[in-house]
This record gives sequence, C-alpha cells and structure tokens, in this order.
Amino acid sequence: VPNSYESLEGGGYSGTSLRCSLRHLNARSPFPSLSELSSALGGLGGVSELEAETLRPVNLLQERNILPPKRAPPPEPNLSNDLRKVNCSPDTFRCTLTNIPQTQALLNKARLPLGLLLHPFRDLTQLPVITSNTIVRCRSCRTYINPFVSFLDQRRWKCNLCYRVNDVPDEFMYNPVTRSYGEPHKRPEVQNSTVEFIASSDYMLRPPQPAVYLFLLDVSHNAVESGYLNVFCQSLLDNLEKLPGDTRTHIGFVTFDSTVHFYNLQEGLSQPQMLVVSDIDDVFIPTHDSLLVNLKESKELVKDLLNALPGMFTHTRETQSALGPALQAAYKLMSPTGGRVTVFQTQLPTLGAGLLQSREDPNLRSSTKNVLHLGPATDFYKKLALDCSGQQIGVDLFLLSSQYSDLASLACVSKYSAGSVFYYPSFHHIHNTAQKQKFQKDLQRYLTRKIGFEAVMRIRCTKGLSIHTFHGNFFVRSTDLLSLANVNPDSGFAVQMSIEESLADTSLACFQAALLYTSSKGKRRIRVHTLCLPVVSQLSEVFAGADIQAISCLLANMAIDRSISSSLSDARDALVNAVVDCLTAYRANGSNIQPSGLIAPAALRLFPLYVLALLKQKALRTGTSTRLDERVFSMCELKSQPLQQIMRMVHPDLYRIDNMTEQAALHLNDSVIPQPPLLQLTAEKLTREGAFLLDCGSVMYLWVGKCCNETFIRDVLGFQNYASLPSNMTEIPELQTTYSERTRAFISWLLESRTFLPAFHVVKDDASTKTSFFQHLVEDRTESAFSYYEFLLHIQQQMSK
Amino acid sequence: MQSNNRSLHFKPERSRRVKTTGDMVLLTMIVRVADSLPLAASMQEDEQSGRDLQRHQSQAKQLCRKLNEQSPARCTLEAGAMAFHYVIEKGVCYLALCEAGFPKKLAFAYLEDLEGEFSEQYGTKVPSVSRPYSFIEFDTYIQKTKKSYIDSRARRNLGSVNSELHDVQRIMVANIEEVLQRGEALSALDSKASNLSSLSKKYRSDAKYLNTRSTYAKVAAGAVIFITLIVYVRFWWL
Repeated sequence: VPNSYESLEGGGYSGTSLRCSLRHLNARSPFPSLSELSSALGGLGGVSELEAETLRPVNLLQERNILPPKRAPPPEPNLSNDLRKVNCSPDTFRCTLTNIPQTQALLNKARLPLGLLLHPFRDLTQLPVITSNTIVRCRSCRTYINPFVSFLDQRRWKCNLCYRVNDVPDEFMYNPVTRSYGEPHKRPEVQNSTVEFIASSDYMLRPPQPAVYLFLLDVSHNAVESGYLNVFCQSLLDNLEKLPGDTRTHIGFVTFDSTVHFYNLQEGLSQPQMLVVSDIDDVFIPTHDSLLVNLKESKELVKDLLNALPGMFTHTRETQSALGPALQAAYKLMSPTGGRVTVFQTQLPTLGAGLLQSREDPNLRSSTKNVLHLGPATDFYKKLALDCSGQQIGVDLFLLSSQYSDLASLACVSKYSAGSVFYYPSFHHIHNTAQKQKFQKDLQRYLTRKIGFEAVMRIRCTKGLSIHTFHGNFFVRSTDLLSLANVNPDSGFAVQMSIEESLADTSLACFQAALLYTSSKGKRRIRVHTLCLPVVSQLSEVFAGADIQAISCLLANMAIDRSISSSLSDARDALVNAVVDCLTAYRANGSNIQPSGLIAPAALRLFPLYVLALLKQKALRTGTSTRLDERVFSMCELKSQPLQQIMRMVHPDLYRIDNMTEQAALHLNDSVIPQPPLLQLTAEKLTREGAFLLDCGSVMYLWVGKCCNETFIRDVLGFQNYASLPSNMTEIPELQTTYSERTRAFISWLLESRTFLPAFHVVKDDASTKTSFFQHLVEDRTESAFSYYEFLLHIQQQMSK
Repeated sequence: MQSNNRSLHFKPERSRRVKTTGDMVLLTMIVRVADSLPLAASMQEDEQSGRDLQRHQSQAKQLCRKLNEQSPARCTLEAGAMAFHYVIEKGVCYLALCEAGFPKKLAFAYLEDLEGEFSEQYGTKVPSVSRPYSFIEFDTYIQKTKKSYIDSRARRNLGSVNSELHDVQRIMVANIEEVLQRGEALSALDSKASNLSSLSKKYRSDAKYLNTRSTYAKVAAGAVIFITLIVYVRFWWL
C-alpha cells in the first residue's frame, strides 16, 4: 500500500487547462497591486498609535489590574488595510511575533521564541472551494498561489516565498466569478487566504480510500464494572447515521480481554458471529472479508451487535487485558485500506506484546523533587503507531480508568499516528455521573465530527526562515512533511522557527500551511492557509508585536518536550528563565525606565502571569499531589490542543454571574447576552454573597458562596436556599425566569464556538470538591507554589543577579 | 468466556489460517477514454498482493493514457505473471488486473457485468464530470461483483455466463510493454518531426539573414561608386 505522499504534495504540476468551476465565493476588495503593497510598506516606517500603546511600560509590581475586561483579541499585525482584510484568521494561524524580526541577531536580543500555532482543519462556516484543472503553484518552491503574491503583469506572478517569477496559466486568466477574462488577481485563490482545492489525480497514489472505522473495546471485568460499554454502544447506536462517510463506509468491532474476539457481520447472516482468537502471541485474522463490513449493507447486524454487546460480558471473570495483541490485530485488519481505530482501554495492559508494569509510586505524587516515568516504558506502542501511520491508520485512545494505566506509554500509539487521546480518570457510570456525562458528550462530538484520511501537511515559509521543531500528534517524514493518517478538526499544531538568512530585503514574511487529505466522502482535497506578517528592524517593534498567548502556548510545548527529554525541574526553570530573559532584554533596551520595579511592555504584561499559571498546571506542577496519568494527560493536551483551548486550560476565565446586568450586554438574534468583566484568578475576588463561573475549557465550575442571594439559587439553580443545594449538581436547570434565561444565555454564548462541551460542576463553598475549583486560582499562594506577587518578586530577584 | 452459541473459538493451529491465493482480480479501474480521467476504482485486497502492485498500477495509468477511440474495444495485455483485460464501451474503459492464471472468459464476463451496471447507474453523467473518481462509490458494487467471480463455488454457476460470452478467442492479445512502447515510438517520431520543423525554421531564418546581408553589400557597393562619381565630378570638373 502506498504511503509516500511527499511526491504528491511536493509535486504534481499539471500543465494543461480545460475547465474551471467555482463554488461559494464572496467578492472581496480588489487584490492589492504592487503600488498598494508599497504604500502599505510606507506605513510601516512610523510607530503607529496602536504600537505606542502596546509598548507602554507597565510596572507589574504596582499595577494589579492588568487583565483585560474581556478575552483579549490577538494583536493585529501592522499591515495595510487591504492586506489585513485578506489575511488568515488568527483562529487558524498565529505567530508568536506579529512583527517578524529581520535577523536572528535581533530575535536573540528580544529573547522571545519565534514560532507558529496552527489549527488547520478546524470547522469553518465559510470556505471557498475551487475546482480547477490547474492548481497554480510556484515552479521552484511549490507554494500555492495566494493573496500575497504580486502580479508583475497580466501573464506573470512573483512567488512571495521564494521570489521566483512564474507564468500565469491560461486557465487562470479567466475569472469564473465575474465571468471576465484577463483579471487573474480577482480569482478566488488570490482573494482568500484560506481556500480548498479539489485535487486532481496527480495528488493521488491510489484511489481515495473509503471511511473505515474500527472500534477496539476492552471487555475485561474492570471494563464491564465501569459500565462504559453501555454508554458507548448507546452513543454509537444514536450516531450511526451521522458517522461521516458515504455508501462505501466500513465498520468493524474487536473486543479483547485475555483473548481477542472478532465479529463476523457479513451481510446475510441472521446474527453477528463471534470469533475468538486465543493465540495472543501470534495473533491472526480468522477471516478476511467479513470483519470490516459495509455499514449500509450490514446496518441491522451492527445494530444487533451493539444492542447485544453490553450484555454479553456482564458475568465475565477475565481480569487480564491483551491490548497489545488486539492492536496488532487491528493493524492487520486495517492495513489494506487505512482508516481510524478507536481504542477503549480501562486498565494496564497485562498480556502479550506491549504489556506494562505499574511504575507509579503513590508516595511520590506530591514530591517537589523530580518526577519520573514521564516517557514511555516500551517502544512497542511507538513502533506500532509508526507502522499504522505507514498504512494510513490513525489510532485514537479513550482511557477510562481509576487505576494507574501508564498513559505515558499508551499515548504513544496515538501520538505518532496522528490520533487523539481522551482520559476519564475514575470513570464509573453510576458513581461518577459528571464523568459519564462528559464521556457521552465527547463521544457525541467524536463520532460525528469531520474526519480526513491519508493526509499530509507541509508548512512553507518565506526564504530565510526555517522551521526546525514540530509539536502535535503526527509523524514527521522527510524533514518538513507531517504525515497524518487521520486529521480531525480539534487538533492543533505548533512549530518553532529560526531566521537563517537576513530578511532585510523584504518587508513582508509569509507562511503557508497546505493540508492534503481525503474527505469521508472519498474526495481528495487540499486546504491551504496563508498568513502574512510585516518584517521589522527595531527591537521595540518586535516587543510591540509580541502575541503573549501564542508565546505562552509555544513555551508550554517546549517545556513539555524538555520535561520528557531532560527533567521536569529543568523545564520549570526554563519557563522562569524565559520571563527573566525577556524582561531583562526589555530593560536593557529601554532607556527611559526607572530602575526600581518590574517593568514590562504592555504587550507582554501578562507574560509572568501566564508562566506562573503554566507552572501550576497539572502537567508541570510540583509539590501538589498529582497522579502520573493525569499529569501525562495534561501534557498530551498541551501538545495537541488548539490555542484557544490551551489558554482556557492554563488561565481559566472567572466571571461573577449572580449580579449580571444588561449594561454593555450583547444583543444577538433577540437574545440578550450579558457581558460580565473577567476577574483575576484569586480568592480575593470571590465573595460569599456571590456566585462565580470559572471556565477552564474542558470543565466549568459554578462556585456558590455561602451567603449567595436566594433569588439566584431559586431562580437559576431551582432550589429554595443554599442549604438545600445538593453537592453534586452537574447542570443548570432550564427555568422560565429571566434570571435563569440570562444566565443560560451567557453560558451558551461561552460555549458557542466550542466543539467538545465541558463538564459542569456546581461547587458549594463548604463542599469537599472545592479544592478542584480553588486549584485553578493561580494568583493565590499554595503550600508549594508562589503567589503572583511572590513570583514577580522572584523574577525581579533573578533579574538583578 | 461464557458459553455462547454464537461464538467460534479458534485454537492456535496454523492450519486454520485462511489464505486467499491463486487467481484474483487485483485491481479494477474505470476510466473515461477521452481524457483518461479515472471515474471509479477498487482498492487492492490485502498486503500479500501488495508486492509490485505499485508498478502495475502505474502501468495501468499509462495504459489508460494510451487508449483512444481507435483502440480495440476488447483486449488482453500480458504483463509478466499478470494480465490486464479491458473493455471499452461508450467512451468508458473498464480495466482489470488479474493474475495470469485467471480465466479470460471470467475476466471479460466480470468486466461486462461492471459495464452493464455502471452505464445504467452513471452513464449519462460520465461526459460532464471533471473531478477524478467522481463515482468512487461504485467501488461497493465492484467489490461485490469481484467476490462473486472469485468464489470458486459461484464460478460453477457461471456456466450460463459462458454461453453468452461469444468468441472470447477472438479477443486481441498483446504484451503490455509493446503497447506502452508503441506509444514511445510514436512520441519519438513526434519529437523527431518537431525537431525537423525547428531545424527548417532555423534554416529559413538563416537564409533570410544571408539574403539581407548580400543586399546590404550590393547597396553599399552602389553607394561607394556613386559617391566616387560625385567626388570625381565635384573636384575634376570644377
């Protein structure tokens, strides 16, 4: 089976042109011609008002209210309006420095990391799709034509990445939007920085594969006890029609305990047939063509199986788990086509290849010294993942366990096959309803979300810049090609860059990410995003353009790599040093700064806060009791989530919601959405009279104070008074009061653009669960970690060394 | 494991392993002849056949590019241990790669079966599509049909098909290499011809240049004589 797609994404220039049709277009402002480009550059000379504001020195020790009242938007790159309008959305593509320094020396002076954060396959509401025989690309660097190229004349365009002059093919001269000829700069490819091309057969090594889904289910005693099987089967039954795919979609099931069980679902059978393979040392596929079956044709059998499965193992006494052999079987089963394997595991694998031992010492959970076993114990899972990746198989892992299961080793199977990892610590269908609800919601999204198969992604950047490190779940093939067996709309990627050659002769730097994939309907498509940023020569401009959220996310990725390759304490030191170095660099540069105090430019004023928040993350904290699996899962999340999600996780949003007014409220389609201001993450801001909402991305807490006004408790939560509130509430009831409607409107507004719905907890002030709420108040002091103010003093002290 | 009358237990006996060997249809492609746009295809079956399928796949692609209206409507092309069979009907080519041992009769029956179903389902849409593999969903039907032709038990029942299939004997047989090379010879001829035409163009421009040069020489000579005459008249006679 072919797997070397590099020649495809890299090559495939077809010369002839025949037809062109376009869908879903919106006419935008005309493409900036050369003269407009140069006028845009003229504007770069002076320091704009915006820049002056971002450079305003802030004394962090004195100014306490540095948090913006709303979630801060990313900084706008200093470009002309025309370029800004067509630039890639910051939700998709962000750079840590929106002003790219001219040389590596300048970058070194600023002591800030240079890198990109990408969310390439995110769900889009509007996307121009282009069907054309010739996909216009630069002949030397293979960049796709984009809004930032320049047209020298009607027949020639200059690549914005390598500056080669290319011919405009005939087909491109015709504009199907305006039905006019001779206006290549009005084509949708040069009007939109995010476009999708329908690929020609040059971009295919084999016919597009069908959507193939294989579910690998743990049915040992432990798994049955947790009750996940029921939830899963029900969820899949509900979503069977909504699985992305077409009439070719294939589906299969494998269950395992100490043996591996296959299910023959061949159309025409009266009921599913179970085949048990007990030779786990050398697992084989009992029959070849009836285990992965066409979903449409065998739908009734699949439904029968899903209805029967939860009951089939209720009395099992099998406690062993042969995950490794089951995965090998899945690999053999899927390798002819490729597709997605979804693994549900509830314990440590104990049999066959890839068996693992417990490595966690519970006594060391809260040690302040080094944390061990963050890396895999065996390379079995990594090797298997690489084999899978080669056959276009992506493996997603759902870990639902109350015991240590060595996620550090297991997660490798998803990490290198471009899968995703989900973790539900102490999952139980009765005892832990919040987890069960979260699992249900996640499954709902997981099963129905878009999926791309046999994908590759390449990121190109302006000559002079070079990408050297990648973060996320994938396998890097041939230095800069990311191989993604599956691509899903919820994963993010990050890359680090360096400046190899001076960018002095250019005023704009561009970055282009191209993702070639097969849709679940068997269409080969290329999604292209292009980002354009100005190049600057002054250190102050570099500081002014710093995107603190992107910087924090990139630093988090780097810190996690460091903690695995070196040690956790090393990684923590590196994070602190990043702040110290950057603020020292700023101080050395600035002349008009008073020597006392801790001064940061306004653009970077949140830097120490975010780094402190990172140090208090489960992934990186020390001193506070943290289970190893939870720590590793937190690391996986930081490495593979998109920026917005990471930021909510690192620095959650706190709002007071019991006294929301309609002042400054948003009015959207007849509903009023109040906009309470963001509060600092400190217990100082909490009052017993209030109710506070803490939004951590994947979980939301509603903290209710002891003396919270009773109208709120009655009208929003539906209970008479504080005392009658149960301690394990997991949702807000739908009450017909304005108070309730307003609160729910606000919460659903927060959730609007989220794909995975968070778990919801109502936390009473006197409940035992309140520690999980208070651990997110990162500005406060804990037994083992600095408060925000102490942290600032610590930085100041480090700086004066 | 609880006793379950639905379950079959496999003991670790090597002999239990099912291996599909022998005659198989490895690759099926449906291509529009006019521009060799792939319309539908069936994926290769399993890893054991993955051997040098890559090479055959590219051969198949090349072959499709070579086909045109003049190509024979039914043909078998031998390619080592494999054989390509194809049928062209209504501007659409149905191509199958089989092992050489696979009965030819069966292969053509299979292709005609596909042809019937495909032209009924998508026949009218064929000329208008531009995206490759627009009818990839036909794969499901291909897989099913393929299975019924490979299954030896079913093959016995196919006796009836044989009578319908008239004179398989007369189907042209050629070697894939030859066919692909024939194209190469043609393209060589083509390149030679274009070479010749560019050479003659060069000759033409050279000739023109020479012509111009000689004209200039003549004009210059005339001018010299004329000037001499003027000078002679000017200084001698006055």
